[in-house]
Amino acid sequence: MTTVIKMKRRAILAFMLDRPGVLNKIAMLIRRKMYNVDTLTVCSTNKPGVSRMTITLREDDEARVTQVIRQIEKVTEVVSAKELNRDESYWREVAIIKLETDGERLEALRKKYNFEILDRRNHELYIVQVAGTTWSIDDFLAEVGRDRIIEIARTGVTAMEN
Amino acid sequence: MKGTELVIKALKDRGVKYIFGYTGGAIMPVFDEMEKQQILSFIMSRHEQGAAFMAQGLSRASVSAPTPQIGVCMATSGPGAMNLVTGVADAVMDSVPMLVITGQVPTGVIATDAFQESDVVGVMMPISKQTYMPLSADEIEKTLHEAVYVATTGRTGPVIVDIPKDVQLQETGSDYRFDPQKYRPELPGFYFHPSPERENIHRAIRLINKSERPVMFCGHGVISSNAGQRLRQFAEKTNIPVAFTLHGLSAIPVDHPLSLGMMGMHGTVEANRAVVNADLIIAFGMRFDDRVTGRLEEYARETAVIHVEIDPSEIDKNVPTSVAINADVGEALEVLLNNPELMYKPRRLWLEKIGEYRHEVADETRAEIESGVGAEGQLLMKTIIHRLSEITEGKDIVVADVGQHQMISARFYNFQVNNTWFTSGGAGTMGASLPMSVGVKLARPDERVWSVSGDGGFQMNIQELGTIMEHDVDIKIILLNNGYLGMVRQWQTLFYDGRYAGTPMKSPDFGLIARAYNIPYQQVTVPDQIEPAIRAAAEHQGAYMLEFLCDPTEIVLPMVPSGGGFADMIVSVPKP
Repeated sequence: MTTVIKMKRRAILAFMLDRPGVLNKIAMLIRRKMYNVDTLTVCSTNKPGVSRMTITLREDDEARVTQVIRQIEKVTEVVSAKELNRDESYWREVAIIKLETDGERLEALRKKYNFEILDRRNHELYIVQVAGTTWSIDDFLAEVGRDRIIEIARTGVTAMEN
Repeated sequence: MKGTELVIKALKDRGVKYIFGYTGGAIMPVFDEMEKQQILSFIMSRHEQGAAFMAQGLSRASVSAPTPQIGVCMATSGPGAMNLVTGVADAVMDSVPMLVITGQVPTGVIATDAFQESDVVGVMMPISKQTYMPLSADEIEKTLHEAVYVATTGRTGPVIVDIPKDVQLQETGSDYRFDPQKYRPELPGFYFHPSPERENIHRAIRLINKSERPVMFCGHGVISSNAGQRLRQFAEKTNIPVAFTLHGLSAIPVDHPLSLGMMGMHGTVEANRAVVNADLIIAFGMRFDDRVTGRLEEYARETAVIHVEIDPSEIDKNVPTSVAINADVGEALEVLLNNPELMYKPRRLWLEKIGEYRHEVADETRAEIESGVGAEGQLLMKTIIHRLSEITEGKDIVVADVGQHQMISARFYNFQVNNTWFTSGGAGTMGASLPMSVGVKLARPDERVWSVSGDGGFQMNIQELGTIMEHDVDIKIILLNNGYLGMVRQWQTLFYDGRYAGTPMKSPDFGLIARAYNIPYQQVTVPDQIEPAIRAAAEHQGAYMLEFLCDPTEIVLPMVPSGGGFADMIVSVPKP
């Protein structure tokens, strides 16, 4: 049996010029360091021409994470890069989930989870949007029951400091 | 103006004199413009890899010039560009500034698998400092200026500009004028090297003053920032011995009383023993490569480390530092030297100990050099390089290929002049020496250049003898022929029970080859012929080739086995 080692989840936030190839450079750099990226989200910022990227990966070794950040900072188009402290930042993602369940059950979950019904095809087929922490989305999926889920689309983590 | 005219204009404005390259369909317009304008000297290599190494040679050798030149190589799309890849990867490993211009298929057919199309930007991105593809002629001039700027500042490296053929031919009314004084690239991540922080300088000096057994490391950054003289002053002012990385050699004379010679896998006994027993390491412009450190788990665990380095991502990468000074080496040395707190200490016991290390294998080595031959009566490489060093008084330029002869050159050539040693270090590319020496000679035409190769590496770019012939480049070739890939054979002897898989090599008649390229040639087989042959080559005006038939069983020692620690250093040949 393979032993799964749970490593600490890290979020790296980087700001960079909106130029072709930058995403490729950073993805290659992380691959070269032998990391499997958990999530990677890129979006524009309030500053024209500058994008932000949130990368989450798993690593216990502080020095290795520092190395990755220094290498990212070295990419010529990168404005800044840093690790986000878990306790001093918000990590959020959005999931769109197509599922089969009955309305009553869904209604019972409404108080606990922040979701919105986007579509309802018949009494049992719904498309819902859940927003929140990775863990709350995971909990929602567990509570609905994996066997009831037809399709999931998740954005990956986007994060911001307090 | 046409795109091609802007290419030539930008290169001329940046002081480029030579273009090394090979033409082809997608770069023909630039070549045509070069021919029309006749303001740049074009050196046609016989293979694009050769052009990349020639450009490297020019850049490497002109680092110490008052006005450094950047080496430029040019090739067509697809296979032409792909043949540059090894030279580019080599340049990035050794932080060599270089401008690479490639032709690309027209923009309308990019990503359609057009004839001779390759994703040059995609391929080069992870092995270069920056890549560009101008998509209109308006962008060409600014792109090339930015490319040269990025390549030659901060931690230097190769930059690629891939220009589609239709962009080369486009007309533009752009009136862009480059002003090198005011210019700053629009690249936020490309920051200028910071000045050393006062607090870190203070902490470093406290450690240095306190230390009883310090050792200094001289890396490539010392050569790149032309700081050899300041390093020497710093060593003398503090009375601290200096060990060199492969690329740090020649920064200060190797026979300086405080010099320990090269350290690392094939370093001297004294350098490696000093590193193990030091209480402080002061590393200038180096990156703690595995060939220098051996097994990292054992390296400098109990030793304080001061790391002076321009690239912050190198700090704490392999070896944790006690004090990091993120700055240009020359600038940091200047600040350290001018600090009144810096003390001279006799460190008598430490220097005595180092004297003992120096004598450990000295007699054995001297006896081997004097004998000049191995067990079967064939020449020893160390004797040849030692004689070369004596005859040239260590003042000529040496461009070594990769292998045993490279390590022997690094160990037994007594470098006296700053920036006179060139070789492929990080990437370890066999075949680099012959083309690299062409670029070196063009950068420093008044100095004598010796290209030292083994029979393996020499044949990897042997076609560049054609370039040497055509352009009448005055290079003295020393071919150390032992009929094997010597360094791999050495590993096979020491670690693979003497099974010589893939290392014996049947070579052609190198005399006939030299004759075919109209290069004078001599074969040397006995020790007495070594000196007259080297003198004949040195005195000849023009290229000259010496082939030495060498002992295949010669082992370069000391050696720290790959993955081993310094405690595992092999200092003498194991008896069968």
